[in-house]
Amino acid sequence: MSELQNLMQSTGLWRASSIDGQYLESCPSGFEALDRELPGSGWPANGITELLHDHAGIGELRLLMPALAQLSHSQTRWILFVSPPYIPYAPALTQAGIDLARVLVCQPRNTKDYLWVMEKALSSQSCSAVIAWPTRILDKQVRRLQVAARSGNCWGVLFRRESAGVNASPAELRIRLRSHTHSKDHSALSLKVIKRYGRWESGDILLHFDDELHRPMPDFSELMLQPFQSRDFKATEHTLTPQPAPPATVIHEYQ
Amino acid sequence: MSTNNHPDSCSGDHVDSLWLCLHFPELPVEVFSRQHTDTPLVVTSRQRVVFMNQCARNMGILVGSSMNTALTINNEVVSFERDEPRELETLQQLAQWAYQFTPCVSIRTPASLILDVSGCLKLFKGLNNLKTKIHAGLEQLGFRVSMGVNRTPLAALLFAESATPDNLEDTISSLAPVPIHYLRIDENIIDALHSMGISTCAQLFKLPGDGLNRRYGVFFTDYLARLTGEKPDPQKFISDKPRFRSDITFMSDVTNLESLVFPMKRLLGELQAFLTGRKLQISQFSFKLSHRSHSPRTFTVYLASPDNDQQMFLMLSQLQLEKINDMPEVDNLALAANHFFKAETDSGDLFHGTRFMQKDGRMHSKAEEARATHLINMMTARLGPQSCFGLTAANDHRPELAWKPVQVSSRRDKHEVDENTRPLFLLPEPKRLSSSRSSSKSVPSLSGRLELLQGPERIDFGWWDERPVSRDYYIARHASGALYWIFLNLKDDTWHLHGIFS
Repeated sequence: MSELQNLMQSTGLWRASSIDGQYLESCPSGFEALDRELPGSGWPANGITELLHDHAGIGELRLLMPALAQLSHSQTRWILFVSPPYIPYAPALTQAGIDLARVLVCQPRNTKDYLWVMEKALSSQSCSAVIAWPTRILDKQVRRLQVAARSGNCWGVLFRRESAGVNASPAELRIRLRSHTHSKDHSALSLKVIKRYGRWESGDILLHFDDELHRPMPDFSELMLQPFQSRDFKATEHTLTPQPAPPATVIHEYQ
Repeated sequence: MSTNNHPDSCSGDHVDSLWLCLHFPELPVEVFSRQHTDTPLVVTSRQRVVFMNQCARNMGILVGSSMNTALTINNEVVSFERDEPRELETLQQLAQWAYQFTPCVSIRTPASLILDVSGCLKLFKGLNNLKTKIHAGLEQLGFRVSMGVNRTPLAALLFAESATPDNLEDTISSLAPVPIHYLRIDENIIDALHSMGISTCAQLFKLPGDGLNRRYGVFFTDYLARLTGEKPDPQKFISDKPRFRSDITFMSDVTNLESLVFPMKRLLGELQAFLTGRKLQISQFSFKLSHRSHSPRTFTVYLASPDNDQQMFLMLSQLQLEKINDMPEVDNLALAANHFFKAETDSGDLFHGTRFMQKDGRMHSKAEEARATHLINMMTARLGPQSCFGLTAANDHRPELAWKPVQVSSRRDKHEVDENTRPLFLLPEPKRLSSSRSSSKSVPSLSGRLELLQGPERIDFGWWDERPVSRDYYIARHASGALYWIFLNLKDDTWHLHGIFS
């Protein structure tokens, strides 16, 4: 034990728990429950974040929206989407509060160009966030991106398959995303931070989005398709039968 | 100090006018090689040597000797057939370059430029300073120049061609010692004058004017009158429309394209000097790589916004150059720029790199803006101009037309945005979903049942551009928890996936 003490004191060894999260540069995520779990109380402002999920459409991009909206309004730097799998839909981005003038989409044709764009954009100091969906990316490539993000003071986001979470990664923050369907009204997302600075991996965190995507609406189409059999309908039919015209005597009063 | 502002109205007879002539004695050689090389180079016309560089001259090759003789003296002699159109082209380019000193530049073939410098002496702090500046500039470009200054354009030309030292007294006395064979007149007249025993201008001016007129014709006396300033001599000045062309010919073929970076840098340096001199910027420029036995290869560098920065030009050109792989050899590299923009006067940034909160709440800094443009430039240079775009909303109720890709630098207008919930991802084309019927109603499925959560939102019509839609949109949940934006096409009762609530 004393040997260990000596080692701690005489060499430059430090313990992960001694990192003070408060001094990390970060950007608030917009979700209090998530901010509590993230070192520096927000997304890293200059590092790679890996978001691991298997299904598109569970809210993985909506998770980033509050932070991106804030970045797009507070900075003149770009928010770059590198080869998004589908079209980032401008009306939805505006609804999420993002200033479209700061959004840039780049579509490199091959993997080599892809990594080139990522590295250049991350290290250029002209992007506040770079978001990418790499299909295959190697450890050493992520490491290079992490270094580039540090030097360019840029938040890099990589969307990867959940299976990538098994292997270690040089990214400074890794979060596993899973859908959560049992919430009423608001859609929700279940997260688990599997790598972060200074702390162990977290338990499951449940985030509720500020939307009404899960609220079931009365289905009018079903109502319309019902055959004309209900009793109420018959009743109304009855009331609509033409009434006999008023007697003609009334007219004489005016003559 | 008088200024002649309108280019075509300047005339040589003004009392204060002062003309500077730039004569390029080695222009025919310099169009092929502007560096000081140790390779003997001769320019031939009908197999006879007509011009040569200093190295060839040192070896003892003479003007007029045949190509065979030259090769006997040294078998490493490189020869080019004289290319007069190209000489004119180069002269025009030099005129554009000289435009930075004065707007009154006229071209005098075969190898001279005449500049009206009376209006710019004050700016350049005197004639000597101006000459030094021009000399240094041309030396950098690789042109040998001889200058002549006088009160009339023709006298200045004469001074430059005969390399007479400046003499700013009146024209006639300054011209006195110049030998008459430099005069730009018919060879026969010069021969005749020589046979009369007249060899300098001083002797010529003593002859009676009407006698010369009768003997040698009105053209000769008219020339003399314009030479001495008795008659006005209007000059045709180059137009102020800018254009830039420059090229470098290599003595030996370049096989390694990477080694083109140096000549590229040199051409771009010329371009930048040209742009700076004229307070211009460019948004695109083209390089042309050619070889006598291959078809030429051209590439154009596009910039995100007009600029004037040699370093960036070079970096972007290099990126493009790396992509060329079907050009085995190159013997000529040319640079051209056609579309110019007025440079915005940019007052320097006192607190360089610091950021200030602006009215719109953003932190702006010049350095940051420059970096933002720089990134776009790099990406478009490497990936092509179409690969990088911005987004904007558009005024249309049909989802696929409610957004548009736009050029990065273009302004985004404000658009009305739907209040209904829209997905963050839109499929480029709606994807057909399979459906099953249950109780007289079709139910969509996508590898599992889709549960309709919200809807319908009817989006209908579009007859005005022949892309009508008639759809009921729903938000649907997949068994995996994913939320989709799907629609029922009312025309054929089919389900389609159109967006993902990512």
